[in-house]
Amino acid sequence: MSVIYGVGTSMFGRQTGTTAHVLGQQAVIEAFADAGTKDVQAAFVGSVFGASGVAQRALHPLGLGGIPIITIENACASGTTALHEAHVAVESGRFDRVLALGLEHMTGRFRGGIHPERTDVDGASGLGLPGVYAMAASRFLADGRVTEAELAAVSVKNHRHALGNERAQYRGDYTIEQVLESAMIADPLTLLQCCPISDGAAAAVVGVDRGVGTDVGIRGIALRSGGLWDHLSPHVWGFDLVRATAHEAFQRAGLAPTDVDLAEVHDAFTIGEVVTTEAMGLVAEGDGGPAAARGVTALGGGLPVNPSGGLLSRGHPLGATGLAQVAEVVWQLQGRAGARQVEGARVGVVETMGGGVAGIDGNGCVVAVLG
Amino acid sequence: MSDQITFDPRPQVVTDGAGSRVLGSLCEGCGYPILDAAALCCPRCRSTDLGQAEFGPWGTVWSSTTIRFPLPGRTPPYDVAYVDLDDGPRLLVHIEGDGGAPVDSRVRLTGATESGDVRGSVEGTAPMERP
Repeated sequence: MSVIYGVGTSMFGRQTGTTAHVLGQQAVIEAFADAGTKDVQAAFVGSVFGASGVAQRALHPLGLGGIPIITIENACASGTTALHEAHVAVESGRFDRVLALGLEHMTGRFRGGIHPERTDVDGASGLGLPGVYAMAASRFLADGRVTEAELAAVSVKNHRHALGNERAQYRGDYTIEQVLESAMIADPLTLLQCCPISDGAAAAVVGVDRGVGTDVGIRGIALRSGGLWDHLSPHVWGFDLVRATAHEAFQRAGLAPTDVDLAEVHDAFTIGEVVTTEAMGLVAEGDGGPAAARGVTALGGGLPVNPSGGLLSRGHPLGATGLAQVAEVVWQLQGRAGARQVEGARVGVVETMGGGVAGIDGNGCVVAVLG
Repeated sequence: MSDQITFDPRPQVVTDGAGSRVLGSLCEGCGYPILDAAALCCPRCRSTDLGQAEFGPWGTVWSSTTIRFPLPGRTPPYDVAYVDLDDGPRLLVHIEGDGGAPVDSRVRLTGATESGDVRGSVEGTAPMERP
């Protein structure tokens, strides 16, 4: 089993006057200090919209020349794909200690939503990712699997969670009504149900078990791309991919969803958390929305989901997000999460989901069981 | 960049007396309908024996939304729906009018929008038999 020696992040949010590689350096310096070592033999770096050479530009000023640097693009799952590859590199014996880094500077590139990819059939037709998630939400609403108030409850919860996270982009104590009355972005998703455009970076040092009790084990991790998502698909976009990836990760860990004390999942939009918690088996099918509304997935509830504030509130710098989720779970498992600490947390799970390619169930999904 | 500007991945729409259909491919191995007239391979069975096909004009709304935020080259709001064509694939359709496209509505393809998107109109708000 590979273990995480240490983690680090930058601040998250609109950060003018800086760039992805500088944010990456902030995350790596903190992760090295946390790990108690700067000695890594390779780096896996997740980035989606980064400039060519962004990984080398981040790492060479830190004295990390000469080592293999592998840059990974896997949409929103790029950061956790970097973690997955770091884990495999250690498990296979290729390296003893490696760096996983995710970084992104988006506010210099986009105003409003991410521009859809014009070589993609749905992207060229003007859909965009808010539209992709809105399609899932409208189908869930039509099927009676969630209500608009339950969707809003996810936003209320995650913005409240972020009140305890000084690195989050947004936080607030909203009501269901305020969420529903915020500007409509893509029906039924309102502004407060959509993640912001963010700048940020996060890193983890991964290595062989060195016998340090506070290191956090990667108990099981899985990476998959989506199968066909078409007129024959029984579920909303992403459901089958998340379910299959989670099943594989839990199986590798020898654990079940009922063993999980907290989860950081891909709430790029409120419906994302509802679909994901159901698909992962963290809640029963049909209970993703009700669980949020009843407080089951809130801090203090039976299974806190996104105690960091999630993508909705911490922010969503695409390439960095997966490792920001990992950092949160590591802090939680080490009892270092401060005001948002989940008491007695021993097992945490991370799920990241990337999309943007029409006709498949997701570009990539990573699920990591840590503990 | 020039390839990105000249390449248009959206399906071409043909309209005649029988209505509007989109051009695509049909797998001769497994019958899978592919929303790409230039497809090289069937993504389901991996056969490379593909024939030309037309899909439509009728289908059923799987899901829908109204895009209300600005994207490059687009003026919001506009209604879009994933429509499962009766004899073909699921595709994104821009919906005429202001009424949206509730889940399970029947949609008839009507052509292409000025900007080249597949266009359709809602012909009923409850499931009905294919005409």
